[in-house]
Amino acid sequence: MSDAIVHIVDDDAAMRDSLAFLLAAAGMKAEAHESAMAFLKALPGLSASCVVTDVRMPEMSGIDLLGRLHAERPGLPVIVMTGHGDIALAVQAMKLGAVDFIEKPFDDTVLIAAVESALGKTRELGLRDAERAEIIARLEQLSPRERQVLDGLVGGKPNKVIAFDLDISPRTVEVYRANVMTKMQAASLSQLVRMAIAAGIVPG
Amino acid sequence: MGPLGQQKPMRSPASHALAYGATLACVALSLLVVLLIQPEIAGRPATLLFVPAVIVAAALGGALPGLIASGASVVGAAIAIARAGGFDTASTVDLIVLGAIGLASSWFGERLLRARADAAARTAEVTEQSAFLQSVLDTVPDAIMVIDDRGLLLTYSPAAKRLFGYDADEVLGRNVSMLMPSPYRDHHDAYIERYLKTGERRIIGIGRVVVGQRKDGTTFPMELAVAEMRAGSGRYFTGFVRDVTERQRTEARLHDLQTELIHVSRLTAMGEMASALAHELNQPLSAIANYLRGSRRLIDRGDADPGVLGGALDKAADQALRAGDIIHRLRDFVAKGEGEPLVERVGKLVEEATALALVGAKELGVSVRYALDPEADFVLADRVQIQQVLVNLIRNAVDAMEGTQRRVITIASAPAEGGFVEISVRDTGIGIPSEVAERLFQPFFTTKPSGMGVGLSICRTIVEAHGGRIAAEAAPGGGTIFRFTLRAAPSEVHHE
Repeated sequence: MSDAIVHIVDDDAAMRDSLAFLLAAAGMKAEAHESAMAFLKALPGLSASCVVTDVRMPEMSGIDLLGRLHAERPGLPVIVMTGHGDIALAVQAMKLGAVDFIEKPFDDTVLIAAVESALGKTRELGLRDAERAEIIARLEQLSPRERQVLDGLVGGKPNKVIAFDLDISPRTVEVYRANVMTKMQAASLSQLVRMAIAAGIVPG
Repeated sequence: MGPLGQQKPMRSPASHALAYGATLACVALSLLVVLLIQPEIAGRPATLLFVPAVIVAAALGGALPGLIASGASVVGAAIAIARAGGFDTASTVDLIVLGAIGLASSWFGERLLRARADAAARTAEVTEQSAFLQSVLDTVPDAIMVIDDRGLLLTYSPAAKRLFGYDADEVLGRNVSMLMPSPYRDHHDAYIERYLKTGERRIIGIGRVVVGQRKDGTTFPMELAVAEMRAGSGRYFTGFVRDVTERQRTEARLHDLQTELIHVSRLTAMGEMASALAHELNQPLSAIANYLRGSRRLIDRGDADPGVLGGALDKAADQALRAGDIIHRLRDFVAKGEGEPLVERVGKLVEEATALALVGAKELGVSVRYALDPEADFVLADRVQIQQVLVNLIRNAVDAMEGTQRRVITIASAPAEGGFVEISVRDTGIGIPSEVAERLFQPFFTTKPSGMGVGLSICRTIVEAHGGRIAAEAAPGGGTIFRFTLRAAPSEVHHE
């Protein structure tokens, strides 16, 4: 893993500097870029193993960058950083092929696990069929209500909106949401969204 | 006299009859005396005996009775002369003299009557006018007082009595300064003296709110207007006084409510910006977590270079301060701050407001340009309220440019007429349709799907409370310019 280079794209100087520092402390090589444009410009001469990008940036957003990378470097894993509560944006990023999204501020272990997992995926793309079958099997264990909550979640809706749509209380939604996470064996919302995409609930 | 002459006092028909009766009686009496007694003067009948009758008739009845009496006297005298022995030159002259005296008396009598009637009319008029004035004085709700050039009270209206609590006889002839508290009480004579000397008007014809003191010692705000009057050799001053306690109370209440409204709308604006602000706070917080967790990892690995660690810790601290700045700005903005306007620098107001307004707008690629005139840097402003106006205008500008390619906000300041500074916020957005422009500053008017329509109306409230004006116009080359004015502050007042 020592020759793998993680590229950080964030317009906030402190964010990209601190991320580079954290990744270096975790024994990874990291390069920081101040904008999506700058990164794309430098890309042809770069050795890239993984990209960690912010979503909200001037000129070109993280979502636009995803599209461009998909065309120029297919298979290059991209991890998207979103603000808290930007689930809609996260789902959109996942649909566009982001391997993961993490919500700021994040625990270092979450980021490093995501990066390591992404670096692993540089070699083996996508989920295996066996995994997909396993996910679909888990989906079938969900009650109709739990399934509705799942649909709402991966649709990027906040709990309150889901509660309103289903005519139940937000607290009940939280209970269903916890059940969904348990039954799907998802450790995080991003994992849940990824599974949903793999299973075809959300067109990937 | 015709019906149009009704305004002139007329002699009544009874007094007419009396005058004519008296005339004829006098003439008849004179004739009787002349015929019976046959007095003679220089050998001729005493025609002059008719003169008193003529004069009495003219004096009592005026022209007509006088003339009738004259005619009758001439006829009577002629009869007397005929009976006494016929006409000669002397008696003819007597007749002519009698006739002339009759004519003259009639004329004077008429003049006299008319003068008497005029004098009576004028007296009635004056009485009427003075009663009218008195009734005005008594009923006007404002207290009215007249003083002479020594400040002594000459007139004191019933309203003044109600206002100050003194009876008229307690104050008339005394110095008006007894109706004001110290220190004005001690200076009032000097005020009058100065005015009489210099003619410099500080209150006469201008009017202002001053403090009055009642008999019981309590003071109250009163609006005082003073008029000057010269009559004869003296100068007099009339003061009109109105108690404005209630009005000031109402104004204070209105001001409180307005401040409250402005504050609430600021909170609302912050509420709308809450998620953007949370995002803004997330940046430094995430960076802090990264630096600290990274440092922890270095320490755990055992290759912690103190220089590297120290650098990371410093950067973490810097980010903590950055987060603190954001919160500080936010706290200032939502604070109630209802202080008096202070001298503020336009540059600083604009800079801070821009930082706050552009939170969450960075991904829109909006660039801000400043064209601030250093000559127009000092204004009198309630900092937070003017920043509220700026935040509102800048956020509107950002919204207006959502659909356009070029996104530039230009914030400018310049000196304006009448001791004002004009601050303008210009965008390159879609502009304002004319039918919208008219209603722009009305409350509850909005073009935004989620807007309440109070933003610009609050801006206007704030700017006008500062004595300025706010307006919008189409910018040349597209977009909109919002301009507002604030009172300029002299730069030497500024302490920094």
